[in-house]
Amino acid sequence: MKIIDSCMMFFGGIILFYMLFVIVSYCTMFIIAMLDLRKRYRLDLSEYDDAHIDAFYSKPVSLLVPAYNEEVGVVDTVYSLLNLRYPQTEIIIINDGSTDQTLQTVIEHFQMKPINKIVRTNIPTKDIKQIYESEIYKNCILVDKENGGKADALNVGINVSQYPYFCSIDGDSILDEKSLLRVMKPIILSDGEVIAAGGNIRIANGAKMQFGSIYETQLPSNYLVIMQVIEYLRAFLMGRIALSKFNLVLIISGAFSVFSKKWAVEAGGYSTNIIGEDMELVVNIHRLIKEKKENKRIEFVPDPVCWTEAPQTLGVLRNQRRRWHQGLFESLWKHKKMTLNPRYGMIGFLSFPYFWLVECLGPLVELGGYIYIVIAFFLGKIYYEVALMLLLLFVIYGVIFSIAAILFESWSMNTYPKKRELLRMILLAFTEIFWYRPLTLFWRCEGLLRFVLRKSDWGNMKRVGIAEKEKSV
Amino acid sequence: MIKLTVSTLLAIIFFLLVVLFIFLMYLLVQRQRESYFEKVRDRYLQNYSQFWYDYLFNNALFSIVLVPRGSAQVEAIEKIFSSYLKNIRNEQVELKIKQFSNQYLKAFYEKDLSSKRWSIRMNALYRIADLQIDELLTKCQEFEKNNITDEEHFQLLKIYSLFQPDLFMEKIKNSNVNYAESEYRRLFILLDDNVFIRFFHDFNSLSAKMQFAVIDTAAVKRNMEYLDELKKLLHHDTPEINIRALKGLYEIGIIDEMDPFVPFVTSEMWEARLMVAKIFKHVPLTYTYSYLEQLLQDENWWVRSQAAKTIVEDRHGIAKLQQFIESSNDQYAIEMAQEIAARKEGK
Repeated sequence: MKIIDSCMMFFGGIILFYMLFVIVSYCTMFIIAMLDLRKRYRLDLSEYDDAHIDAFYSKPVSLLVPAYNEEVGVVDTVYSLLNLRYPQTEIIIINDGSTDQTLQTVIEHFQMKPINKIVRTNIPTKDIKQIYESEIYKNCILVDKENGGKADALNVGINVSQYPYFCSIDGDSILDEKSLLRVMKPIILSDGEVIAAGGNIRIANGAKMQFGSIYETQLPSNYLVIMQVIEYLRAFLMGRIALSKFNLVLIISGAFSVFSKKWAVEAGGYSTNIIGEDMELVVNIHRLIKEKKENKRIEFVPDPVCWTEAPQTLGVLRNQRRRWHQGLFESLWKHKKMTLNPRYGMIGFLSFPYFWLVECLGPLVELGGYIYIVIAFFLGKIYYEVALMLLLLFVIYGVIFSIAAILFESWSMNTYPKKRELLRMILLAFTEIFWYRPLTLFWRCEGLLRFVLRKSDWGNMKRVGIAEKEKSV
Repeated sequence: MIKLTVSTLLAIIFFLLVVLFIFLMYLLVQRQRESYFEKVRDRYLQNYSQFWYDYLFNNALFSIVLVPRGSAQVEAIEKIFSSYLKNIRNEQVELKIKQFSNQYLKAFYEKDLSSKRWSIRMNALYRIADLQIDELLTKCQEFEKNNITDEEHFQLLKIYSLFQPDLFMEKIKNSNVNYAESEYRRLFILLDDNVFIRFFHDFNSLSAKMQFAVIDTAAVKRNMEYLDELKKLLHHDTPEINIRALKGLYEIGIIDEMDPFVPFVTSEMWEARLMVAKIFKHVPLTYTYSYLEQLLQDENWWVRSQAAKTIVEDRHGIAKLQQFIESSNDQYAIEMAQEIAARKEGK
């Protein structure tokens, strides 16, 4: 009995201490984000957009769309790219040996004709079968290649691209017409000191769209999707903005980010043997910056720029989270030597420990907290109080932070302007700690376990296409 | 001890929930006010858009009902003006907008300039420039004496460049702030030619970014006067300036003599060789082929590729490349020539 007692006290202490630590770090990041966004509140952004719409003030960008069995979504994605307000772009669709009708769909829809194009192999990749050019849109190219995974497809895109910056876009993402202009802003205004920038990702389920542009956003009715909407808001306010301010970003989403081609090529392009290839590239570029002792930055742009389709069923969400977490652990593990290494400055001393402790191992401790509460319930006695305290901390961590994020977002960005939607989100946030949080924690821990067991089968998300979805939701 | 912490935690949660509740209430009230503001604005747009069109374009008489009452109506007028200013170039309309703004909107922006909120001040500065409210110039100069941000300073420079170019030239040369090249371009592009050319007179006293922006802007302005200035810069000590000047001359696209460019065929910088290969597009192949053949065998992939592209642009280009493929023994150059020729023929 004594052993159980000391075990309970010990673990209870660790979990409590950990939760306090996480809450304090999130609070700090939230305050930094608030101060940052407050400054821009009500600033007329169209002035900048209109001034920079001219090629004379901007830099050309190659847009890379890797597609593997994306026959449903790929045409919409390309339309949303054609709708972008940006002076000079080329669209490169890379068909990664799809087994469905992706290739034919794109060829037919955009009237693609085979061309001879010289490709400079900056990064070694699988073979290209054929390159096509659209007869309707001259800046639109299709590359048909052997299957080699998303990273390999992106590398082919980099090789084929002719512009100094490239932007990777998931086959299922829809962009706002000003997305690229806004994401390129830090790069243009810093004269290339910023070498990579990622935009804020939003969930598109429930949005109304036509020909690749969103014309009305509304909250989806599926509770699982609303929880993900809240989760995205939190991640953005309590993480990305603050990390970006101090050049500590390790993840800019692969769904929409711009990189300097020169730096990405020098960093070896996307790694093909890893799950989280986007994080891997960012970490490699950070490493390169520090090794070359250059004053370059990677930034996160707070404007919502990219809309993505969120999983609607538990099964698909589970696969996604498991894969994300496995990828995160894999990247951190691969670069573990950067942790607390003075050679890598703040990245080594702040970013890595943060990602290890809060993002990567956090779920394990947190899930431990939930289990602790259940055990304490059965053991009774003094553990009730520790368990109660833990529960209250979960309330702060889950409920309070979520509500704060929803409200702050609604104030600063006006994305979900309807009163009813706002109240619905707040009410749902109260339920988070009882179902959504434990579930995602469990899945993330599964991801950790899978990394340890070296399992690597891919959970492929079944897509129905965002434009179709609005009917089905 | 633990009991105390539980109650403390409860108190903290309660406190935070109350704060969030107040924030929520504030948001809901704010939203209400916003929707009222939008209603007033939209009503003005609905009622007076036609009046404005008639006044600006059809010389209808000015009506006092157009004068804004309150910031919602100001915003409506901003919308009307900006849609015309962005889409139509008409001096008379611009003049009318300027006169109206100076008379009736000045006071609103003057007030906004002293706002505590940075974004409001910025928006006011944007409007002063867009609507040409030159009567606020003195106010802007006073505003400059405050502790302002770099963005505000930039906007002031833009205002000076529009209303008083001499003052602008003085300010920009003495400015301590280092802006991005694209920002300098935004300032320079609006200047009249007789003001802009002054940058070339004391070119060396400018910061590097300003120098680059001057060259790039000159290329876009396409004035013959700048052609000579850019040619002079080909002898500048800084390699980057030489390359930019080459690029500028390429963009202007008027090559009246070969001599200034020939030395760059053997330049140590591949970028300069690349630019020369591009510039030769604007000269008949008979004058440039010997140089382009040399560049086709360059060690740099981009230079080889550009040289081949420049050759095939000429009427006799493909024949020349075929000739080269048969006679050369440089494998890399032959491959490049073959690929470019095949692509040209394929099209």
